[in-house]
Amino acid sequence: MIFLRRTFPLILAFVVGVIGILVFYVPHSVAQALERDLAKWFMIIAAFAYFLGLYSLMTLHWTRVRARQPGWGYSLVAYLSFAVMVVFIVYNDGHGPFHAQAEAGGYQWLYLNVYVPCTSSMFSILAFFIASAAYRTFRARSPEAALLLLAGLIVMLGRVPIGAYISDVIPDAAQWLMAVPNMAAKRGILLGVSLGAIATSLRIIFGIERAYLGGGEE
Amino acid sequence: MIERLMNLDRRIIFLFVFAGVAVPLLMDFSFPIKPTDNVRAVYQQIEHVAAQKDGKVLISFSYGGGAAAELQPMARALLRHLFAREVEIVAISLWPDAVGLAQAALKGMADEAGRKYGTDYALMGFKPGNSVVILGMGQDFRGTFPTDNFGASTDTLAVTANVQSLADFDFVIDLAAGESIDHFWIPYGQERFKFPLAGGCTAVMAPDLFPFIQSGQLIGMIGGLAGAAEYETLIGHADKATSGMRPQSVTHIIIIAFIVLANVTFFLSRRRSANTTSHQDLA
Repeated sequence: MIFLRRTFPLILAFVVGVIGILVFYVPHSVAQALERDLAKWFMIIAAFAYFLGLYSLMTLHWTRVRARQPGWGYSLVAYLSFAVMVVFIVYNDGHGPFHAQAEAGGYQWLYLNVYVPCTSSMFSILAFFIASAAYRTFRARSPEAALLLLAGLIVMLGRVPIGAYISDVIPDAAQWLMAVPNMAAKRGILLGVSLGAIATSLRIIFGIERAYLGGGEE
Repeated sequence: MIERLMNLDRRIIFLFVFAGVAVPLLMDFSFPIKPTDNVRAVYQQIEHVAAQKDGKVLISFSYGGGAAAELQPMARALLRHLFAREVEIVAISLWPDAVGLAQAALKGMADEAGRKYGTDYALMGFKPGNSVVILGMGQDFRGTFPTDNFGASTDTLAVTANVQSLADFDFVIDLAAGESIDHFWIPYGQERFKFPLAGGCTAVMAPDLFPFIQSGQLIGMIGGLAGAAEYETLIGHADKATSGMRPQSVTHIIIIAFIVLANVTFFLSRRRSANTTSHQDLA
């Protein structure tokens, strides 16, 4: 049992990880054919992950509804919305579930006129909170904070046409801030993150990092 | 007074931001839009592709409804330019919820330009897997997308019939709300199969992409609604992005005014507390 729970996944991660790295760098036709097959396998597994996500989401909301937790009505709305979308997807504008998704129909209408406006509205609310947070926190408490504040104001002005309307210097200054100091900082962060990702990947491939297996440190 | 300003009710700020968005939408005024070099580079690459015979461009739609306000006008401007210059377009999606937006943008712009599905453009739909979808397309495009979004075989569509790999595209553009440009398209696509790549992204993502422009891995970038407005200026067709610059400009000014006010009250408050402390010391 321990073999299936721990040893076999470790061997699988090692073999697939090493093969995955090798086929990426080896230009031989056999390696490239193997890479094509691995890509198809990965896509199939990734597709199943959506079912897992769906199961997790539905279970979470069902638990809330059953236990009448605060806000359980929203969970009911989630179930109802899901059911309505599924009905229209299966109906598929009269073509049925085994036909490619229709170009028009109830699903497309709901997607463009309900889903997209709702998600856009959620995102747009950020503008209000960012304005409020900027008022409360964006203060020149130290020379470094003052510098950040000044750079932020220049970029905010320079990224909208009113900046160029006030002075041609503002968009140029904003562009310089983005292309020179910002880029230097981002490159440093990127190098650090990439080295960390390589180290973590090697730890997983060689079985040092085992958190993905679950079950804690046992 | 200073205390009240320091602890200003956030609903007042919300009200100003709402007015800053709503009022300019109801009014008609404009500011001159100056395209940046990064946006101009994307435009010039499409002009370069259009000058070739049977130029072909792949557009990857990697965003959902949350970023539609920024990226859909960008997609429309790019498609309008591509259709006008008679460049063949193949669209894919790395996000499941991008397919409907891609379909709406493609159909709207194709109908406007009188372009036909299958011969001038195609929508391949969504495939899960991000990096491996890109690797798969690089190795075997038609194996990765054997059918289009509507079930037609990729071999039967004129626009995709001769596409074997990503290297067959003259230009690839990823419109992204997530990390698909720098985490997937550059390492697994552009670096491996060597094609010109550009990114269209939300404004908040744009600073992350500057290192890739300097390295030449990205030939250009369109950042946020401002970038889309710059692209509309370049193609000479003002649309939603250009009109969106009115509320965006006014809202930025309002936020800057609030930040300045907050700092003035902060310094006044600090000076007053310093004076109070020195008076207490003297007493």
